[in-house]
Amino acid sequence: MNRNQSSKSSVASQILIAGSIIWSLLGGGFQILANLQLLVPLVTYFQPLPVLGFGRLVPASTFLLTYGWIGSGLLGVLMILVPRFSGIPFRHGRLLSFGAMAWQLAVLTGLTQILMSGGSGLLSLPYSRSVTLIFLVSFLVLGTGITRGLGGTWKSGPLLPRLYLLGGILAFPLGLGTAELLLRSGTAPGAVQIINQLVWHSFVHHLWLAPMALVLVFQLLPTLTGRAITSLSLGVLAWGLLLTLGGWATNSLASQGPIPSWLQSTGVVAAVLLFVAALGNTVLFQPLLEGRIDEIRRNVALRFLTLGSWSYVAAYGWMMFLSIPGVRQNTAFTVAWNANQTLFLFSFLGSILAGSIYALLPVIKNLGWPSHSSLLWHFWCTALGAAMMFVGYALAGILQGLALNDPGVPLSTVASYLRPFLVVIIAGQALWLVGQLAFSSLFFATLLKLFPLTAPMAVFPPSRDQNTDLAHAQH
Amino acid sequence: MKPTRALALVFVALLFTWLGQVALGYFQVGKLEPVLNEETNLPNPPTPSGFAQTGARVFASEGCLECHSLSVRGPAGSADLMRGWGPRRSVPRDYLFREPALIGFSRIGPDLSDIGERMKEPNDLMTHLLNPRKLKPTSTCPPHPWLFDVKLAGPKPEHDAMALTTPNWKQVVPSYKAKALVAYLQSLNLGYPLPEAPLK
Repeated sequence: MNRNQSSKSSVASQILIAGSIIWSLLGGGFQILANLQLLVPLVTYFQPLPVLGFGRLVPASTFLLTYGWIGSGLLGVLMILVPRFSGIPFRHGRLLSFGAMAWQLAVLTGLTQILMSGGSGLLSLPYSRSVTLIFLVSFLVLGTGITRGLGGTWKSGPLLPRLYLLGGILAFPLGLGTAELLLRSGTAPGAVQIINQLVWHSFVHHLWLAPMALVLVFQLLPTLTGRAITSLSLGVLAWGLLLTLGGWATNSLASQGPIPSWLQSTGVVAAVLLFVAALGNTVLFQPLLEGRIDEIRRNVALRFLTLGSWSYVAAYGWMMFLSIPGVRQNTAFTVAWNANQTLFLFSFLGSILAGSIYALLPVIKNLGWPSHSSLLWHFWCTALGAAMMFVGYALAGILQGLALNDPGVPLSTVASYLRPFLVVIIAGQALWLVGQLAFSSLFFATLLKLFPLTAPMAVFPPSRDQNTDLAHAQH
Repeated sequence: MKPTRALALVFVALLFTWLGQVALGYFQVGKLEPVLNEETNLPNPPTPSGFAQTGARVFASEGCLECHSLSVRGPAGSADLMRGWGPRRSVPRDYLFREPALIGFSRIGPDLSDIGERMKEPNDLMTHLLNPRKLKPTSTCPPHPWLFDVKLAGPKPEHDAMALTTPNWKQVVPSYKAKALVAYLQSLNLGYPLPEAPLK
């Protein structure tokens, strides 16, 4: 692929990735503001603006982190990766840039609507019909660009990334179109709307975002480690399980809720089997990373991808735990589900996205990353921040659930139980935001060529011990 | 695996997901109809007024669902009924006339499925929206002053002005949105029997 051809997709991917980083900072900031209001409710008495109200900030931050940060970012890195593994360059660069700009416009419009006039209250569909339309048009352009020529070059590379790509790319427009039609055009009666919302929520997480992240894992891990996946059959089985049952998993969220009980049971079965699929994929990742601890420590892309791969299993493991009937009776309606969201978005998808940007951006820009210390700040702050958020939400959720199920505990006391954990959660969110700021400074400095560039890929310098060992070996 | 086969498998899987849940769900709960109460000759669940439906949208846009649920569970495995959040559990038929149908997945605050029965006085609901700590000092609910207008009272306050002492001859008047929201909250009650969820 020549330089001119690759630059056609690089503008679009840079727009998507730059947008992703900006939305992540905003979304992270909104989360902190919302949780501060929960921690010190008196604060809310001093702010007269609905824009900064808890009920607007929470849906706005969830929307930004899902569609703005992860959605835009994953599409951006896939636009770099896919023409390289299909071997077919993009055409119509301006059209792709239009698609990328349209995605940012949809996020901006959705955010403005949620902040100014409030969300729709629908699960994973907080924005209006006009935003859906912009998302669909943008995705039509970007998705067509990404999958173009995939069939013709199907056998020229690994199968698993292609399978996951097909699933993720088809699930979004089909799911969003159907959800919009059933939820907002008055075709589904109220009782069915609840089921529709749960299905669409599952689509977003398990059939759109997770498969797109797994494309990157299955393509980049073998490339970076120089090893091949050991069992294609196991990989295809895990893919089949994710695609078949991914849309059912959120039903377990509605524990004893107003949906048919068989749907709740299938939600539990789906959560268990999705964890089995995640374990199956881990069996495939593990041999790739075995004995590569020094490389994982030195190569920041590999480090993030490894963290993301393990978080993937942890996220599905936690979801399965929360879905077990004895547990979900206690944890339904609690912040224990926010812990699942944290593991899923911040640790799994966020780490895969960061690792992929570190690995792929130098390819299109023919540049390296300017600052090793910022790399370290990014990794440790985001990893520790996400861990603190998870632990805070998980413990708070379990305690909240036990207290809610004890009618002798007043609700104000249940809320007060959350406060110590909220301090940990807010500290984690602030730490994560610092890491993300370090990353954004690196990213924009690289794009603007502000620093002299030293490394062709993102790597940490060898540690002092390793240098000494190397010197001894040479001696 | 050939690309056409992979594509077909993806379509089948996605179709299985939608048809399995939405279509089967539709056949099971989508054709539910209201039940006629023979004593009052009114349908159950009651049809909410258009004003209350407007209030449902205000409820959604203010993000009340970030803290409140609209689904009572029980009696087994849940303390919802013992907490007094409703006289019975919520069932799909309760949502027949809800547009949009909202249930919420957070309980930082109490469930509101039966709030119309628990707080019958509209002024109490208005006061809660304006200043939640006035009625309950430990409340963590944020105030919503933007749903109210502060106007000069003149010699005589407006008929719907709230009974609050304000300095400088001013009165607090609920906006259209606040009134709609209160109408919606008042419409939320589970105090009617259904065949699948009788009142105890």
